[in-house]
Amino acid sequence: MSTTGRPRRARAALRRAEAWLFATGDPRRLAAVRIGLCGLLAIRLARGAYAELATQPPVLYRPISFLRLLDRMPSPETVAVLQALALGAAVLACVGLLTRFTLPLAWLAALPLVAMTSSLGKVVHNDVLLLLCLVPLLPSPAGTAWSLDARLRPYAGRGSAYGWPVRTAMVVVAGAYFFSGLAKLLHAGPAWVTSGNLRWVLYAASDTQPDPNSFALFVADRPFLAQLIAAATLLVELGFPLVLWRPRLAWVFVPAVVAMHAGIGLTMHLDYSVMAAVVLVVLVDWPALADRLFPTGQGDAPGPVPAEERR
Amino acid sequence: MERPPAPDRTDPDPAPAPRWARWYVGVYLALFLVCGVAGFEAWPLTGWRLFADARQARQPGFQAVTVDGQGHETPIPFRDLPAGYRGDVQILKGFAALPPARQAAVCRAWAEAVRDRGGEVAEVRIYQTVTDVSRRVGDRGAPPERTLRFTCRPGSAP
Repeated sequence: MSTTGRPRRARAALRRAEAWLFATGDPRRLAAVRIGLCGLLAIRLARGAYAELATQPPVLYRPISFLRLLDRMPSPETVAVLQALALGAAVLACVGLLTRFTLPLAWLAALPLVAMTSSLGKVVHNDVLLLLCLVPLLPSPAGTAWSLDARLRPYAGRGSAYGWPVRTAMVVVAGAYFFSGLAKLLHAGPAWVTSGNLRWVLYAASDTQPDPNSFALFVADRPFLAQLIAAATLLVELGFPLVLWRPRLAWVFVPAVVAMHAGIGLTMHLDYSVMAAVVLVVLVDWPALADRLFPTGQGDAPGPVPAEERR
Repeated sequence: MERPPAPDRTDPDPAPAPRWARWYVGVYLALFLVCGVAGFEAWPLTGWRLFADARQARQPGFQAVTVDGQGHETPIPFRDLPAGYRGDVQILKGFAALPPARQAAVCRAWAEAVRDRGGEVAEVRIYQTVTDVSRRVGDRGAPPERTLRFTCRPGSAP
């Protein structure tokens, strides 16, 4: 391989990636992602134990990120205001009212609340993926379609402004799973699969639950099954970015990660439902699904679902 | 990403994405990738360390218990306490490195939470444990080996 060939190939790959990221997109796909993510955010904000966290004794406070500026959790009054603001804005962004304003407001107000849940000494990844997938939508025209805003200002059709927010969110989802797999390889190596790692994790998880967990014990009692599941987990995580390259592979990888999170929930009682829901919201082509279920005779021919936008 | 999409003849908006959008996406994805590759935590950006270590059958840990006036020990039920008390694993891991005054304050906070639930607390004890999860007694693991590391007397409730 020549020394000049490699940088040239890298530049060409970057150009292809850029062309893919900034290609035109369907405003309805962006709208579906907005509705899904803001709906999830609203549910999380409504159900979060932020008021309880606000009463935490300061000595137990283990702040993360910008919360290090405070010497204790934000006060219950501050939390109540932030929660009301974030929840109201998230609901408005979900229905698409003043979306350019309400979506960033919901994200900004939710940020310290979600940071509180990670200020107990451990990063809670469940909501992080949701927050990160919302970042590309913040400056985007996410309220152009399927929104109250659209009733005032009808939209013209596909455009470059509607593609990159969704594709950036897709990269973030794919990256989250890939880096989870990479971290396992870097920190544990092949032993993550070949040792008794998953058995010991599941036994420990079962032992900390009030009653023995039959799902966890079923896997942990079978060394080969445990290794098979560990290998499949690593394969799914490391292979997830393939859905960006071959959209039809979403048929395999999306159900696989949903099943993985369901399995973690059943065996370890850890709730990663928001991560699974974010994957569905971002990677399923909801307009194509809508066209397939309710054909109107207008627009493009139905494409694969889930998939990147039809071409 | 196999190929850039072919120009769409029906596309009413062939204008390319503006420069600010390219910078916004570029900087964001660069930060996301750096944190992911380096395992760096800059919340909400993260290194995505989820179950990243390979566990062994013998697992070190800690256990915090309250002791009543008769000397009976009861594990502190952190899962049943308010959400702000659920960082017990991380606090116990770093307990030895805390200054004595802070250790006493942590014990006091836990004792008060248990007393608020009607428990009697004369003392808080912290044990270092080693649990061999491969040793099973029926559907449960065998009890851990315990070594007493700290004892604090948080005083009576105000």
